[in-house]
Amino acid sequence: MEGEEVELRVIDLKKWFPVRKGVLSSVISRKREYVQAVDGVSFEVRRGEIFGLAGESGCGKTTTGKTILRLLEPTSGEVYFQGEDVLALGKSEMKQLRQKMQIIYQDPYESLNPRMTVFDIISEPISVHKLADSSSEVQEIVFKTLEDVELVPPGEFIYRFPHELSGGQRQRVAVARALVLEPSFIVADEPISMLDVSIRAGILRVMLRSREAREISYIFITHDLAYARHICHRGAIMYLGKIVEMSPMDRLVKNPLHPYTAALMAAVPVPDPRLEHARAVIGGEVPTPINPPSGCRFHPRCPKATDGCDREEPEIIEVEKDHFVACHRAA
Amino acid sequence: MPLLDVRGLRTYYSTLKGDVKAVDDVDLWMERGEALGLVGESGCGKTTLALAIMGLLPWNGRIVDGKILIDDVDVVGMDEKSFETGYRWRRMSYVFQGAMNALNPVFKVGDQIAEAILIHESVRKDEAQGRAQELLGLVGMDPERAASYPHELSGGMKQRAMIAMALACNPEIVIADEPTTALDVIVQAQVLSLIRGLKEKLDLSMMLITHDLSVVADTCSTLAIMYAGKMVEHADIETTYAEPAHPYTKALISAFPSIREERRELNSISGAPPNLLDPPTGCRFHPRCPFRMEICKREEPEYLELKKKHFAACHLLA
Repeated sequence: MEGEEVELRVIDLKKWFPVRKGVLSSVISRKREYVQAVDGVSFEVRRGEIFGLAGESGCGKTTTGKTILRLLEPTSGEVYFQGEDVLALGKSEMKQLRQKMQIIYQDPYESLNPRMTVFDIISEPISVHKLADSSSEVQEIVFKTLEDVELVPPGEFIYRFPHELSGGQRQRVAVARALVLEPSFIVADEPISMLDVSIRAGILRVMLRSREAREISYIFITHDLAYARHICHRGAIMYLGKIVEMSPMDRLVKNPLHPYTAALMAAVPVPDPRLEHARAVIGGEVPTPINPPSGCRFHPRCPKATDGCDREEPEIIEVEKDHFVACHRAA
Repeated sequence: MPLLDVRGLRTYYSTLKGDVKAVDDVDLWMERGEALGLVGESGCGKTTLALAIMGLLPWNGRIVDGKILIDDVDVVGMDEKSFETGYRWRRMSYVFQGAMNALNPVFKVGDQIAEAILIHESVRKDEAQGRAQELLGLVGMDPERAASYPHELSGGMKQRAMIAMALACNPEIVIADEPTTALDVIVQAQVLSLIRGLKEKLDLSMMLITHDLSVVADTCSTLAIMYAGKMVEHADIETTYAEPAHPYTKALISAFPSIREERRELNSISGAPPNLLDPPTGCRFHPRCPFRMEICKREEPEYLELKKKHFAACHLLA
């Protein structure tokens, strides 16, 4: 199961996007504005672990995932993968590393090239990384991978185009494309949120089995805390570009220490009429990340906020073993 | 006598490849004051059923057979004018899916609500606008927001405005189609509690359409489950959870994760929902059903009352 060995370490990662302004306003004011999508995020992912990155839309979870893979260049910060400084790598070294670091996107309707057959989609990474010597070897790898994602018999799928597949089958192809390189780390960005409930668990099973067989570490990005609860070993909750709480998933659900985490957990509806209703214990909605609130970013909505919260930004501290919280009032 | 009673409804869409049988011989009823959850996966026909009830089917959709009784009056085939003045938006209204995009971006929210009132009632413009402000207050918004354009509102506020619009002509029946699907979890909890409150306050009969079992468990008293254009089970919600009868209902409930449970392996249903151009013979769920028998491939199961007010269609139960 989850080892203590660290596969990925992220330190104070930031990604700011400049806000485009009109000609006139840029003449009047030279001050540039930024969307602080990810603003100083630190965490580690251990070998063979599924690390959940959860939060509401716009909290920066997807940007974090993409920045780690350098699909977006970070504004600042450090990323170490198996001890190697990812941000210091040149283009060709980065290309080599990508074999080990893969991503599965949310929308299988957009992430697959509609003009390529399933065979082409899955074999392309093999030829890019020159992993096979002959075309028969390529075929062997493709068939094996299709079997791994339960698209069987593979012969029935290889000549199909994405539009000839159901949503679930498409997402299996996307998983196969990531697995074919035998990566050791995968960012799964909302991999099931576009799919019907009845087929979601099937996709997850395929992902999780590969984790066990090959010790793959995952970052599982999701807005759905109920799924995170059942899939992830540890998790972090993000709010406006910052991690507010991070701990083993069990503790995050049962003993949330940050008022925002507590509000999220209380708001998740429960599929059982015998249990109490979900409650919105806080009002309002997430503000824009262009000019986030001063001090603790959650203070305008926080039921526990006091005087200092609007001035001083709370640091994230380890309040008990493996349980980190960024809140003045939680300690 | 139910307030809304749908009997043997068939609604098809004509396409170049033939008829898509989106709703195929469906019975559904709702008592006065009931909160009914209509649940199913995408493409099972739940939205089509609602659009048929509202008389809002797109150009290629048509009601082939069946009755839609509202207070014992069949509205299928009723002339458009009497339907418009007596039923649609007056007695029953609809909260469209995807509220984010359902508002007109170039008109103020208050004017859009007032327009709905002006079309259906003979009131002065300023009265209608006053009512629009009241309605916004009713759904928990600042009435001053009537002067805002949709882009100035957050997602949760747009959804509230859509609900206000549905309430514009004091309907008895409100059908809400995936009212919280695009919303974040905290805003979703806010909107669901608003819906529960409005239902009580205004004595509404409500149909909530969703794919999310946790949303119905939170808001509804009865639950109807559709699969591939057919109704598979209908009972009060406690019964459905305590003793689900249909294999599809059972599988759907066990596929759905709950944040309150201990970590467990989630179940899935093998295969995928069928194409309704050419649905499976017999029971439409049989290709995915773990309990299928020979008869399931041949014969369509009857929709039977197992116990009082508990209906299901499955050969295992016959």
